[in-house]
Amino acid sequence: MRAIAFLLLLVPAYALPQPQDAQDAAAWLKKIYRASQTLSYSGTFVYRQGDRSESSRITRVVDAGGDVEKLEALDGVRREVVRNGEEVKCYLPDSKVVKVDRRSIHPSFPALLPAQSASLAEQYAVTKEETARIAGYDCQAIALKPRDEFRYGYKLWADTVTGMLLKARIVNEKGEAVEEFTFTQLSIGGNIGRAKVRSAFAGESRRWRVENAGVVPANLARSGWTVNAGIPGFQKVIEVKRQLRQSQRVSQIVYSDGLAAVSIFIEPLEMRREPVHPGLSSMGAVNIFTRELANHVVTVVGEAPPKTVRQIADTVEFHRPQ
Amino acid sequence: MKSKISALMDGELMDGELAEPMRALREEGEALEAWRTYHLISDSLRDTRILSSGFSARFSERLALEPTVLSPVSIPQQAAKRPAYRAPLSIAASLCAVSLVGWLAFQSFGPDGQQIAQNKKTLEAAKSQLLAAVPMPGGVNDYLLAHQNYSPRNTLQGVAPYVRTVSDSARPR
Repeated sequence: MRAIAFLLLLVPAYALPQPQDAQDAAAWLKKIYRASQTLSYSGTFVYRQGDRSESSRITRVVDAGGDVEKLEALDGVRREVVRNGEEVKCYLPDSKVVKVDRRSIHPSFPALLPAQSASLAEQYAVTKEETARIAGYDCQAIALKPRDEFRYGYKLWADTVTGMLLKARIVNEKGEAVEEFTFTQLSIGGNIGRAKVRSAFAGESRRWRVENAGVVPANLARSGWTVNAGIPGFQKVIEVKRQLRQSQRVSQIVYSDGLAAVSIFIEPLEMRREPVHPGLSSMGAVNIFTRELANHVVTVVGEAPPKTVRQIADTVEFHRPQ
Repeated sequence: MKSKISALMDGELMDGELAEPMRALREEGEALEAWRTYHLISDSLRDTRILSSGFSARFSERLALEPTVLSPVSIPQQAAKRPAYRAPLSIAASLCAVSLVGWLAFQSFGPDGQQIAQNKKTLEAAKSQLLAAVPMPGGVNDYLLAHQNYSPRNTLQGVAPYVRTVSDSARPR
């Protein structure tokens, strides 16, 4: 069995005979991607993780001026995320803080563009599944089953007409859901208006503390840090220096297989105010592995099984540059 | 160098003797490691709160996973003479005690492979328990936000996955 899995890794996916069903499923992924880029919508979704669930409202407006998206938490502590183009602002009214960061569109993203879909198929078996009705929409289900134990599986449900993603589930190796997003109400299209994607805190937040990530490109190998993850299909997509909490100089390296991403954060130990707990912690599909190395804290964060984040963390090395 | 670091910590060095250990500390090598270890020791002796609750439990767990070093340890004579060398000495003493316990434990297993295998199993169990036992790192939301910006999931679901970064459940416990 292992030999077969190994052979599969060696054969480029485009060389494998693709049944009609797989091609169909891949076409569905592209349809979902296009929908996420072109549709304006407004709706409410439930995020479920273990025995917790939370409702949020999401609104997206695409017009001649670009695209803006807003996420509002409806349960618990008030908070909002607004993405305008590549800029992401996170409003936290209780602590009177705005966190400003940039979303990155790296050349190797998005994975679902036609050029990348072949490499995605090397890591996941993409199949068309049943149809189902979700929040009043007839949906087509698509499954992405991982070809090894280094990644989680995904099941996506998309509106048969527009391709809008209505439900997404991440499953572990036992087939259990570790995390789920489901729309409970959604209206697609129509004239939503820019006022709906403006933060409710846009005005008062001018008096809040602004935490800007100040992301700049970096070369970690030059400062002595190397990562030799060696996990099939995971490639380095970005390497930056940024601000994170108190620390001005946190390094971040991101690896991705096209669907899952894993970030490695390296920060000087002297900047930490709170104690470091080496080991693994989990939250839904996100696993976090922390270790200390050469007077730095290495924190690996990813939507990947514990084994993957741990393996990546264990391969981080520091050699004093000569 | 370690004894110099210890003396530096205890304020025993003359002005003229400071340059060398300070330079060693700047080089971030063994000297800095020793500096941190000695501070950790003195913190733990004085019960400083930076160690946080559950320290001894976590320490015991991690200690259980460490291989036992059976090589003999000699205590430098210079150290024994100095009364101010208390902290490192007590550590050396406790290391000896640990080695002794480890040695005794190892002896009692003898060549009985089955017992060693059993011990290995217990170690594995302890290891997997340790894997899930750590609380979320402080400021976990900041890590999640920084990570989310580069996730390919954004191209499928827009800002929806950011819900994780602002989720109540994501707050550090």
